[in-house]
Amino acid sequence: MLRTRRVSYLEGLRYQGKESMLAWVLHRITGLGILFFVGTHVVAAFFLNAIGDNISKSVTLWYESTPFQIFIYFCVLYHAFNGLRLVVEDFYPPVLRYRRELLWLQWLIFLPVFGLPAFLMVLSLFSGSA
Amino acid sequence: MRFRSAGQGSALEYYLWLFTRLSAVFMLFIGAFGIIYANLAGGRLTMDTPTQYRWGFFPIYWHVQNSDIPDVFPNWSNSFWRVYGMIFLFIAAVHGFNGLRIVVEDYVHRPILLLLAKGLVFVLFLFVVGAGGVVIFELF
Repeated sequence: MLRTRRVSYLEGLRYQGKESMLAWVLHRITGLGILFFVGTHVVAAFFLNAIGDNISKSVTLWYESTPFQIFIYFCVLYHAFNGLRLVVEDFYPPVLRYRRELLWLQWLIFLPVFGLPAFLMVLSLFSGSA
Repeated sequence: MRFRSAGQGSALEYYLWLFTRLSAVFMLFIGAFGIIYANLAGGRLTMDTPTQYRWGFFPIYWHVQNSDIPDVFPNWSNSFWRVYGMIFLFIAAVHGFNGLRIVVEDYVHRPILLLLAKGLVFVLFLFVVGAGGVVIFELF
């Protein structure tokens, strides 16, 4: 069945998707983010050690910068928390009754665990010690 | 967007679905084990937090080299961690590239393009695992 999407993602979030759709979109984005980073990292490390070219050097500098590290920390942490919730829901479906509560609980745990280190990383970025 | 109806998938599709869940839990344990091991092996005094997280993310000794560790060999670089890292990389790559395949199937509809895209995903998978294996076992 083919169906064209007539609403934007933001409209979908407001209309019916709400927390679940946000989790789905973020799970997808963070998953692709991790795959992109790990793929780039592995390939760059390979070429850096095999031939030591300048492209690998600048790619390495780029993903070692603080903004990218914060992004990748967000990706890994969100994907891990959300994935754990999905596994619990898939293997023990009765909790689906409390799905909204689970999603909010997940944000409640995620935000401080992500926010504090991210805040410290931003601080060190501006104080210049990173 | 294409919607898949229930009961449409093959047995392989089911096993990959199951693998994604099981490997997810497995990788959470791997991350926890990496950080706990780092602290038990003296990392609490010699490693800063980013180094511990890098080691927890992937246990390869390059991730601890910049820290204040005198000799990397006994705790951080030996055959155990190489084999362990290779298994971890393989499982993570299957998990990740299978996820990419599912995303591709959601957005690419023309059969010929889908075949090409899935082929590209498979080639990328082989390349990342191969290059990662060379890096882990230092076969330069």
